[in-house]
Amino acid sequence: MRGATSAPRGLGWLLLPALLVLALFLGSVALLLFHAFWNKDGFSLIYFRQILDRPDYHDVFLRTVSIAAIVAVAAAVLAYPIAWLLWRLPRWRNLLLVIVLVPWLVSLVVRTYGWLVILGPKGFLNETLKWAGVIQSPLPLIFNDLGVVIGLTHVLMPFSVIATLSVLLQIDNRLEEASESLGAGGFETWRRLVLPLSLPGVFTGLGITFLTSMGAIVTPILLGGIRQKMAGTQIYQEVVYNFNMSKASAWAICLLLLSGLGLAFLRAVEAALVPKADR
Amino acid sequence: MNAPVVRLGRAASFALLLFLPLPIVVIGATSFAAAGYLRFPPGELSLRWYAEAATDPRWLEAFVTSLGIAAVVSVLVTAIAFAGAYACHRLRPRWLPAFELAVMSPLFFPHAALGVALVNVLAMAGYLGTATGIVIAHVVCTLPFAWRPIVVALQRIDGEIVEAASLLGADERRIALGIALPLARSGLVTALLFSFIISFDEVTITMFLTGPQVTTLPVQIYAFIQENASPVLAAISTATVVVTLVVVMLLERLIGLEFFVAHDPA
Repeated sequence: MRGATSAPRGLGWLLLPALLVLALFLGSVALLLFHAFWNKDGFSLIYFRQILDRPDYHDVFLRTVSIAAIVAVAAAVLAYPIAWLLWRLPRWRNLLLVIVLVPWLVSLVVRTYGWLVILGPKGFLNETLKWAGVIQSPLPLIFNDLGVVIGLTHVLMPFSVIATLSVLLQIDNRLEEASESLGAGGFETWRRLVLPLSLPGVFTGLGITFLTSMGAIVTPILLGGIRQKMAGTQIYQEVVYNFNMSKASAWAICLLLLSGLGLAFLRAVEAALVPKADR
Repeated sequence: MNAPVVRLGRAASFALLLFLPLPIVVIGATSFAAAGYLRFPPGELSLRWYAEAATDPRWLEAFVTSLGIAAVVSVLVTAIAFAGAYACHRLRPRWLPAFELAVMSPLFFPHAALGVALVNVLAMAGYLGTATGIVIAHVVCTLPFAWRPIVVALQRIDGEIVEAASLLGADERRIALGIALPLARSGLVTALLFSFIISFDEVTITMFLTGPQVTTLPVQIYAFIQENASPVLAAISTATVVVTLVVVMLLERLIGLEFFVAHDPA
């Protein structure tokens, strides 16, 4: 909305509140670095060394990255058909979008609690299977990695649906018509035209769900139990129960680095798979 | 393509879609079960868990706290985002791309890392365990979500209207409040409702910041699940679902939901 008139004056101060929020955020990141490298004895790498030395801590980070990767892929695969459905049913899209958005916006503690009620040892699923005579003793569906993966995948699926759908909606309808008038079947059109064009959305979804799983705390604690630690649960424990801000900050920085590496890896895969013109 | 395959694909996709609200529906059903747990075949229905929740002052207090924090956060962050985005839009500074990247940067932080970072800064300022501290943290976390819809709405305003107003002698204040503000209202309402619901339902970062003096509804739900998973939780959880549903329907009625699936112009 910039016109031929001279640059407006006296608007700069409007940026101040946003700059203040930014300064707060950047200040908190600076403090994170400070706490991670300095403790009461001065500069120290003790907690980074601890992470490198202790095999049980290697396991925690390995579990965190593996679960985040599995969850990201599972959410992308399960979300794709939903996005496709919403894309193909424009008349119903608004109603169907509500079914996607409401679970996404409902607090994740509530959704996780729902899975506890469904999958628990005395949960809905186990009781129903027992009643039907399929099983004698309850299946161990939670308080293990399986429960965490189920819970996180469900919690994060709406992100993938939204990311994929927003790219599907960019596809020009005429491309599809052209493909089908040239004799390609519906599946062929999807495989050779729609899928490649929608991949950037799938990768956006993968990035968001991976990042969010990496930093998850509530779902891993409630569905994984105390022993199945992830980096987020360890960080939470250090802050809230041990008051060890230096250790928590060092862990947070390792988590940030690993997340960044994961995202960089995703970008590289995307670059190899998606032709440049589509990105 | 052969129609049966398409129909099968649609049915499978639809089943997956219904999987999304499943846990919420299960909680809703549990909250009305007199036995306090869901089973098949279903037992007797009752409202006793709602009655129990309503008579426990801790839940009412947490509910009011969460609504209050969400209301303050949404108004604050929408005002901050509008002021900033409007100034950027009019001034087009050369450092705009860097600035917007900085505004969006909290999105690239895993929540556990963001939580620790905010604990550090709020503890130093003496706001840990206070409502003010939670409001500050939520403003930091929701700014990216409020920023985008407002920027999109500002970009849609016809530049000639502003130019005409300027030629006719409207000053900057008049242009900002009399033209840009009303014309960008779709972005403002989206930012307001979106940040409200994020703040109201946020738990991962907030649970670093609550204390004995103040706690929010989702954090209290989390604490109670760990203590004893009483069926009262199902009633409370259903109440938070209703709040979320009301806000989403409001957004759908007022603005539409296209914003969520609009392609990022950046």
